[in-house]
Amino acid sequence: MTAPFVFSQSTGLLFAIILGFFFGLFLERGGLGDPHKLTGVFYFTDFAVPKAMFTAILVGATGLYLLSDLRLLDMSRVWIVPTFFWPQIVGGGLFGLGFLISGYCPGTAVAGFASGRIDALVTMIGIVAGSLVFGIIYQDVEAFYMSSQMGGALLPEVLGLPHWIVMVLVFAMAGGMFYLMERHERKHAGMA
Amino acid sequence: MGKNNFWSPYIAGVGLGLTLLATFVITGWGLGASSAFSLLSGVGFGKIDPEYAHKLKYFAQYLNVEAPLLNWVLFEIGGLFLGALAASIASRNFKLRFDRPAHMGNTARLLTAFGGGILIGFASRLARGCTSGVALSGGAQLALAGWIFVISMFAAGYLGAAFSRRLWS
Repeated sequence: MTAPFVFSQSTGLLFAIILGFFFGLFLERGGLGDPHKLTGVFYFTDFAVPKAMFTAILVGATGLYLLSDLRLLDMSRVWIVPTFFWPQIVGGGLFGLGFLISGYCPGTAVAGFASGRIDALVTMIGIVAGSLVFGIIYQDVEAFYMSSQMGGALLPEVLGLPHWIVMVLVFAMAGGMFYLMERHERKHAGMA
Repeated sequence: MGKNNFWSPYIAGVGLGLTLLATFVITGWGLGASSAFSLLSGVGFGKIDPEYAHKLKYFAQYLNVEAPLLNWVLFEIGGLFLGALAASIASRNFKLRFDRPAHMGNTARLLTAFGGGILIGFASRLARGCTSGVALSGGAQLALAGWIFVISMFAAGYLGAAFSRRLWS
């Protein structure tokens, strides 16, 4: 039997709660429910966000491609996040500004609220409001929203390289970033 | 509070990565967050003004299904809340507070928390997800979407921070 598995809806929702529980636990324990730590990356005072984020990406990618190469997981049945180039560039940019201003992103706002932060609840309400705005003006942005479609484009295809070479590049990039972040934090220890 | 007892972000990152991997293996998709908020906005608006809401094309995905609230990401977010609540209580890190930057008043913080949230909500819809669904899940799949989102997010964040040095630091 190869992964991913097919379950009934109720079993799927049970897994959603369990997996979400661990998601929230690791976010909170990593300090990712704290808006000061979350925004520290933008002011060079705290790199918890990129450290946790790129570590998670490295672990997830290594596991995913290893299981796929070992034929334990059927990659063709995994839903690949679709690329819509310009909407995701513009969306990513607006998102970064919202992240900086509020101090949260959607998942970390829930973690922040769960650790007692009322401001995080305000951000959650704002996210619902922003989604509503999008839903209401959707007709006006639909053409852009559907533009520059690239389907489930993967870096190995885009770069024309085997996935393990891409993994080595990603590891090297993340390793280099971690080294610079650690060096910067050591130099400025106690100053933040 | 001052000092905290958070884990190393690398340890938390390994935990997040394993959780993400387990999600891929079990369900065939990744972790998400922002779509739960969008779902709530669509379903909520459908209750407030059903006639108008049903005319909106984007909300059809929520309003034309039998039980929209039996949604995987919504349940995952419920679990996320419980997990973060348990972790913060167990580590004595839970504290009711209105968290804000050092030099910011409560009214200004209310505006940044809400206004930033509006931007995030809108941007997540445009990008088809957020830090969870596009950056983490897409990034780990080596999907182009995840990497362009991350690069654009950090670029805009740094640009914004350069123009607002005293916002958080």
